[in-house]
Amino acid sequence: MVGEPIQVMLVEDNVDHAELVIRTLEEHRIANKVRHFLDGQSALDYLFHRGEYLDDANNLRPHVILLDLRLPRVDGIDVLKAIKESDELKAIPVVVLTTSEAEKDVARAYYNHANSYLVKPVGFEEFKKLMDDLGFYWLSWNTNPHSKE
Amino acid sequence: MLTSHLLSWSINRCILKSLVGSMSKLLNFPDSRDEEQNTLARTLIYTSAGLILFSVIFIAAVPFFAPVLTGRAVRLAGVVIPVCGLIIFLVKRKKLWSAGLTLTTLLWLVVTLSSITAGGVSAPMFMGYVIVILVGSLISNHSTNIITTIICITTGILIAIAETQGLLPEPIVVLPAARIGIYIFFFLLVMAFQRVNTINMMELIKQSKNNASRYQSLLENFPATTYINNTNVNAETEYVSPQVKKLLGYPRSAFTDDPLFWTKILHPDDTQQVLAESQRTSETEEAFEMEYRIVAKDKRVIWVKDEAALVRDKETGKPLYWLGVWTDITSRKKSEEGQSDLVNGMTRRTIQLQTAAEVSRAATSILDINELLPNIVELIRNHFEYYYVGIFLIDEQNEWAYLRAATGEMGTEMINAGHRLKVEDSSMIGWCITHKGARIALDVGEDAVRFANPLLPLTRSEMALPLITHGKIIGAMTIQSDKSAAFSRVDITALQTMSDLVANAIENARLFTDKVNLNKELEAQNEELERFTYTVSHDLRSPLVTIRGFLGYLRQDAESGDLRRFDKDLGRISNAVDKMQRLLNELLELSRVGRITNPPEKVSFGEIVQETADLLSGQLEAGNVRLNIISEFPIVHVDKLRISEVIQNLISNAAKFMGDQANPTIDVGMKDLDTDGKPIFFVRDNGIGIHPDFHERIFGLFNRLDPEIEGTGIGLTLVKRIIEIHEGRIWLESEPGEGSTFLFTLPVPMPEQTQQSESKKNG
Repeated sequence: MVGEPIQVMLVEDNVDHAELVIRTLEEHRIANKVRHFLDGQSALDYLFHRGEYLDDANNLRPHVILLDLRLPRVDGIDVLKAIKESDELKAIPVVVLTTSEAEKDVARAYYNHANSYLVKPVGFEEFKKLMDDLGFYWLSWNTNPHSKE
Repeated sequence: MLTSHLLSWSINRCILKSLVGSMSKLLNFPDSRDEEQNTLARTLIYTSAGLILFSVIFIAAVPFFAPVLTGRAVRLAGVVIPVCGLIIFLVKRKKLWSAGLTLTTLLWLVVTLSSITAGGVSAPMFMGYVIVILVGSLISNHSTNIITTIICITTGILIAIAETQGLLPEPIVVLPAARIGIYIFFFLLVMAFQRVNTINMMELIKQSKNNASRYQSLLENFPATTYINNTNVNAETEYVSPQVKKLLGYPRSAFTDDPLFWTKILHPDDTQQVLAESQRTSETEEAFEMEYRIVAKDKRVIWVKDEAALVRDKETGKPLYWLGVWTDITSRKKSEEGQSDLVNGMTRRTIQLQTAAEVSRAATSILDINELLPNIVELIRNHFEYYYVGIFLIDEQNEWAYLRAATGEMGTEMINAGHRLKVEDSSMIGWCITHKGARIALDVGEDAVRFANPLLPLTRSEMALPLITHGKIIGAMTIQSDKSAAFSRVDITALQTMSDLVANAIENARLFTDKVNLNKELEAQNEELERFTYTVSHDLRSPLVTIRGFLGYLRQDAESGDLRRFDKDLGRISNAVDKMQRLLNELLELSRVGRITNPPEKVSFGEIVQETADLLSGQLEAGNVRLNIISEFPIVHVDKLRISEVIQNLISNAAKFMGDQANPTIDVGMKDLDTDGKPIFFVRDNGIGIHPDFHERIFGLFNRLDPEIEGTGIGLTLVKRIIEIHEGRIWLESEPGEGSTFLFTLPVPMPEQTQQSESKKNG
């Protein structure tokens, strides 16, 4: 496991937020490789090897997916559903990372087998702390299923 | 001497008196009801008494003029007197036939014996047979009379034969004077019998005359009118009793001068039936019995019961005439009619109660006013078999009463035509509403009204009832009948109760509908509020996350002296602040749309489009977008500022989503009217288009399709809200890559509607 590039898939429509996530993760040398997708459709295309990612041999299977809920074209919940309904992908941990604190969203996320639900904190230190813990937890402490089973 | 003479005379008188008394007592006979019997009894008694008297005189007289005959006379009287006594006895016992037979036999015996002893055929007594036959004919019927005659003739012939053969005893020679006496006696006797006979006849005639006049007076004093019609098919009058004058006012002569007069005074409604029945019975010869109306001379309608039977000849059975009786049954009929009025009245009340019950059931079970009203008008119309029932409700300004429910096709037609009546005295409904009172209009009588609504051609009576609930008038109900004078004051009372019920039901349904609508509205508002807080918590948080996050990095940048990154991060913060600002502004605007409305004005849609286009010209030129205004536009009735906002949003939206279109073009135009009669406007672009899955979602708050393109996700929500406030619709026709067309409807000013019908009274 050590030395292998860790693939984090970030699905986030807000470029500023994406920048924040990527920057914090990189600073802590946790994520060697973060792939950012602006909308649900392109994320699904990547995961299912479709559309513009059809011939992409390098589209590695991510170790963890950070998913925003309100996404253009295909909504975050629909992305989550698609992943968890797929036999091939459902083992990948999906962490919902959103600004919404609505109970409805939390419930819907867990109902659709989200592995975790995190609300983006307002505040630099808080954001950094969350990203630290998130990185450590999912990428260091947590044992992931082997990518090739 | 004189005194003794007087004394003897008075004694004689006394004796005579008692004699006459006993005689008259003797001569009395039992009175029978049968006149014929009485006559016979009288004849028998007089004859017997006469014979006794004669016998006594004969015995007294014989010794003087025929002493030789004295012995025989005594013997004869010795037989005759007791037999006559027996006869009188029999008569008194009412055995008339036996008495008659005994008398005839006695006379025959006397005559025969006398003839035989007195010289046969030439004997004066031979003439006695005539008396026998005469008496026989008087006292007995036809056949006995013949038998008596035959016996007398036979006896006479036998005596003659016996005389010729010399079998008779030697006759006693009588003096010629005695002969004369006997003859005279016989003549007197014949005369007496003839007299009796004549008296009897006279008596009978008098009796029958009496009877006839008794019957006639009976007929003519009878409390009914009798008549006799002949047996012709036409039943012509031959006789009518004088009571007819009292019954019908016409004299008897009117009926007898014109034998068909009776057919001419029949009530027109009954004539046909009566004549048909008269003809039928005259053919079948069945008894005629009918109750019908006759118009009397003073035009009163008289109900009569007419019963007539065919009278036939007793012996031949040949029909002679119709004997009929007219009885006045007017008062009975009137009381029957009164009863049937009562029954009808009760039936109506029962129906009214039933209808009221069903209306109240409908009122409690149907809470949708649009379902309730048609139900009620149908209920009322069907139960009472009215021609038309309609319900008008007044508008909020109390200016017009709109037809909201009505029966039949004509009702539907009028509702669809927006039938309304001004709330003023010019119409029944208007009057009824302004005066809060019921009103009846009939096409009969002094207040006769002409009904002239071409859609309700059969209306002949109308009743308008106010709909009042909690003391407030909310409308009126019109009930129309195709019968003249169909409504009375009593109906108003009954139907007013029902209309109160209807009014309450309407009010309840209204309150309920209001409540349901309010609930729906509240639910919708709640939902929107929820979505709003949700979105706000997300969309307003989002820039905050950015700002606070990069503020941290800004410090790091400053410490590390990386100015390039410092600038970049500062830009991110600034953008986020701008976005927040814009979001807040638009949210404020959205909340204003619902709360602050400018009064709608009549304004040219073309003008709004032109002004908006001018406003956006800079933005359009920057994007190289061409804007075409491709239609002539009508005047619309809108809040000008808001509609300008709508067009602005739609045009700038279209300009934003042009993609890589080489010739970006936006068309603004107008299509035909929609089903509500409102014009359909559109804004069409040839941009990237929108997948049908998103056609609904696109109008939702904060729903954005493309994160790359600037926007808050409020614009289309705002557009939709404004259109809906104008009671219009907005929708989208688009396919990806084929451009998008946003279509929406707007209200036009109401044409100044004139009152539907010029007719004064129709509802």
